[in-house]
Amino acid sequence: MPVTKVLTDGIGEVDLRDLAVYRARGGYRQWERAVRELQPADVLAAAETSGLRGRGGAGFPTGRKWSFLPTDKHVRYLVCNCDEAEPGTFKDHMLLEEAPHLVLEGILLGAYGIACHHAFIYIRGEFKRGYEIFVRALEEARQAGLVGSNVFGSGFDIEVTAHRGAGAYICGEETGLLNSLEGKRGEPRLKPPFPAIEGLYGAPTVVNNVETLAYLVPILEKGANWFASVGTERSKGYKIVSVSGHVQKPGNYEIALGTTVREIIEIAGGLRPGRRLMAVQPGGGSSACIFEEHLDLPYDYESMAKAGSMLGSGAFVVFDDTTDFVAAAYNMVRFFAHESCGQCTPCREGGHWIETVLARLVRGEGIEGDDAMMLRVAGTITGLNLCALGDSIEPFLKSVLVRFPDAFKARIPSAAPASAVAS
Amino acid sequence: MSEREAKFPALLAELRPHCERLIAQYERKRSALLPIVHLFQEREGYVSHEAMRAVAAMLDLTPAEVESTVSFYTLFFRRPIGKYLIQVCRGLSCSINGAPEVMARCRERLGVGHLGTTADGLFSYEEVECLAACDRATCAQVNLEFVYDLTPAAVDAMLDDLRAGTATVRPLVQTDPPGAIWSIRQDEQVATGTKALGSRGVTNPNNAGGVGDAAGLIMLDRIVNKTVSFHEATRERAVRDSRAVRDVVEEEEAQAHAGH
Repeated sequence: MPVTKVLTDGIGEVDLRDLAVYRARGGYRQWERAVRELQPADVLAAAETSGLRGRGGAGFPTGRKWSFLPTDKHVRYLVCNCDEAEPGTFKDHMLLEEAPHLVLEGILLGAYGIACHHAFIYIRGEFKRGYEIFVRALEEARQAGLVGSNVFGSGFDIEVTAHRGAGAYICGEETGLLNSLEGKRGEPRLKPPFPAIEGLYGAPTVVNNVETLAYLVPILEKGANWFASVGTERSKGYKIVSVSGHVQKPGNYEIALGTTVREIIEIAGGLRPGRRLMAVQPGGGSSACIFEEHLDLPYDYESMAKAGSMLGSGAFVVFDDTTDFVAAAYNMVRFFAHESCGQCTPCREGGHWIETVLARLVRGEGIEGDDAMMLRVAGTITGLNLCALGDSIEPFLKSVLVRFPDAFKARIPSAAPASAVAS
Repeated sequence: MSEREAKFPALLAELRPHCERLIAQYERKRSALLPIVHLFQEREGYVSHEAMRAVAAMLDLTPAEVESTVSFYTLFFRRPIGKYLIQVCRGLSCSINGAPEVMARCRERLGVGHLGTTADGLFSYEEVECLAACDRATCAQVNLEFVYDLTPAAVDAMLDDLRAGTATVRPLVQTDPPGAIWSIRQDEQVATGTKALGSRGVTNPNNAGGVGDAAGLIMLDRIVNKTVSFHEATRERAVRDSRAVRDVVEEEEAQAHAGH
């Protein structure tokens, strides 16, 4: 299956940051149609029928997420999650900088779909340029009467606030994000209550990823059935995959879900000449690796889960035979240890200790039993935390440790045969 | 009183209307904390104590609440930093595509390590987590402007440009001379009495402020795998903690065997 252009259409060809250019290509027409002709329930129905699932990582059906909002409370919020920091993911970064009006139109449609009058976009602190681009687009849209009170004379009021973070991966977790948006430390909250019941300022809140909301625009334009006709049984539509690592043409590629893992690698130019594929991390830093035997699996939510991994945010990192998997495991675990907010003991302590053990393995100073001990500790951490960060320490580490045990054993002087130590 | 401190009241008066506009964007005042702190940091180069106290007053918070929040975020600097902040990505995609060489060249050229500032106060250097530009590895940010496809040679050219003032990146405001390290180190806090001694010897504390003592891992293991016993005397635990975790576990296993 080839690369498709839905959200990525026009990126790199025309300046979609220019409101006039965006509108000339049909931009904001769905927004106008929604507030003039559709009811919020119609937008919700389109989201449900399309089969659109969250593109930020969890893959939760978008329509169902919205339907959890209590019907008796009228103050509610939409928060667009643009705190993109999952290692290997760079799609929202591109959308924000290259197509800010598409991002905004998605937010507006989402806000209308849940009938809320104040939406927020939480932008990662490092995306200073992206934030400035979005704020300029928002101001332009406001002046054009696309945002504000009584848009298109429909009587619908909508305010959008851009909020910039300040450096913390954990703020991508939806309740951590809400705390940060409330001006607090970005520590995740105990769930339930889920944000749909008690979110921002205690009011019902929907948190959706940038890409998820942006897909509402083509879904309304071309119809929910158009979107649902693409993909696999339970993974509908398109997805932007961020391919990086050992491929010749790393980049963002928009594909139909169900394109095989092998095809995605080929789309990204394949491996460098003479190199052999060792592993693919198919869903961001939190996902386990898949291997050669999984190359012909369709890239969708179910198949990745069945292979013991996940589709996650669509970060697709390819590793060839030059990879030092001990160093890679150290890198990944250090990331989670560094980004732990520190609330939960298993995550705060466990991540730090596995990092310490991996550091000595990287130096070739491992102690016999380190590999088994790491698996035991990582397994202990999983499932005992308020949020998914702690649970993310185990998958990558375990997958490479089980697959390449000799690479780890070679770093333990007493256990390794002399030849392995010498190399 | 430093020059910056002397100028602070005027800065506060100047920024107040802007802060009030930011506060008005939200249903609750406190939501404006991050945007307002960003604003002060842009003007002072770092988040000064005066700024934190002023923000607290504006948002009806205590200075401690503001400092606690500010300290959570890695892009808020509570100490002065250099005019050019170089942040090289150490994410996995960059790491397998040349980041180690790029970082080594930065360290060598700057003569400082992670979280260090050069003696002339011009550069601060940090190795940061994935910057979401993995297709252009190795990537970095200079004063939050992206730099892509870095190589050691590109690092040389970039640093030369910055030093010569021919780069397009604007320098950060510098109102106070930076120290050699801008992160607030725990041993320093312990020495000045602002923090309890809890994590001595931990070289890489996490965001939590680095608890990370050996007791943590043992406790972790017990919570899940064994009956938790909280009756052990502190003195005994202190003795155990000074040894390797492995030793403790082995000892316990040996004792368990002996007992049966």
